[in-house]
Amino acid sequence: MAVLKPEERRRVFERLANIREIVFGIQDGVLTTAGVLAGLSGAVSGRSEVILAALASTAAGALSMGAGAYLGTRAETEVLRSELKRAREEAQGQPYVLQESLLGALANEGLTREASYRVVKLLSSAPQALFSTAEEKIYGLGGATFGNPVAEGLLMGVAFVAGALVPLLPFIFFSSIRSGLIAGIAATAAVLFGVGYFVEGRLADKPGWLSGLRFLSIALGAAVAGYVIGLAIAPLGTVPGG
Amino acid sequence: MLKPGDDAPPFDLPCAFDDHISHVSLDGIRSEMVVLFFYPRDFSFICPTEVIGFHKLQPAFKQEHTSIVGVSVDDPETHRRWARELGGLSYPLLADSDGRLARSFGAFDETEKVAMRAAFIFDNRRKIVYAVASSINVGRSVAETLRVVRALRTGRPCPADWQPGDQIGPADLKY
Repeated sequence: MAVLKPEERRRVFERLANIREIVFGIQDGVLTTAGVLAGLSGAVSGRSEVILAALASTAAGALSMGAGAYLGTRAETEVLRSELKRAREEAQGQPYVLQESLLGALANEGLTREASYRVVKLLSSAPQALFSTAEEKIYGLGGATFGNPVAEGLLMGVAFVAGALVPLLPFIFFSSIRSGLIAGIAATAAVLFGVGYFVEGRLADKPGWLSGLRFLSIALGAAVAGYVIGLAIAPLGTVPGG
Repeated sequence: MLKPGDDAPPFDLPCAFDDHISHVSLDGIRSEMVVLFFYPRDFSFICPTEVIGFHKLQPAFKQEHTSIVGVSVDDPETHRRWARELGGLSYPLLADSDGRLARSFGAFDETEKVAMRAAFIFDNRRKIVYAVASSINVGRSVAETLRVVRALRTGRPCPADWQPGDQIGPADLKY
């Protein structure tokens, strides 16, 4: 297998940093839509009404999740950048504090104290190099820490739609509600297992079957728990005006 | 930590001085007074400010018949390289590798396993006449140490913030 250049490897890391949005979006899209289809199939007799409701739920869910990811990432990035600016201003006033901390961090990673001193002294000749190394070694911040709000929002929305289509497409293709629902739930389980198998198993080099089963059981477990809680609180009464 | 009036613990330790490794003992120091300062580590970004500070003011200390000795837990070879890194020092750096000397002064940080940032001045009877210690992250004022040496050498009471040329108290005034 060809060895990637460090710059190419960096781009791989940046792409992988978005795996959270993809997994989150797919999982939520799959389960929300499966839930809507299952719930409405029992309550509404018309197949087209169920499909329309699921499409509306998908659109609303994708927009909501996308907006949530955008706003969350934007807030996180702004707060981190502001804190980092404050840290840089402090470091400019008392550079030796940052230098001493970086020296300690490098020494903890195996360099001798003398070698660490020389590295930090060299880095200090270019303040930007000193700060960016300190940001990673002392504050634990890397380039991937600062997400792109627009990209993450779009990715979350698209992942949600992709997930929602999993139970929805069989429902559209099968003429009977019952067959569509069964096929949709089977596809849902397969995709949940597949996401776990691929993301944790293949990308993270963990045992694939185990990863797939864990993902499936956690995702379905959450859905079943929600259903059971719904059953438990049902006897408490009806919604006012309902 | 030892205080004014206590005897300075004797020592005979390897040191780096003038780009060579040698030995320094308390008995071998002939000057009237001695400034012995402990610092945590060589190759640090805080310590050099005072290590260099003592180097720069060494002629003034010499004029006051006072020797300067720096001590840390680093070995003599590291001291030699550190002194060279700083452009050469005009006083020896003692290697208290096991921290025994710092412990005998009560100036050893057992958590960090390094000497505290402490300084002592001994008189001609090698009794401690001044002792100060600060947080490991705060450097000392070398100029203040020199001011205290000058005040001590008057042998007379000196008021707060006394500077050479200022009035001094009568010889029989105790407090």
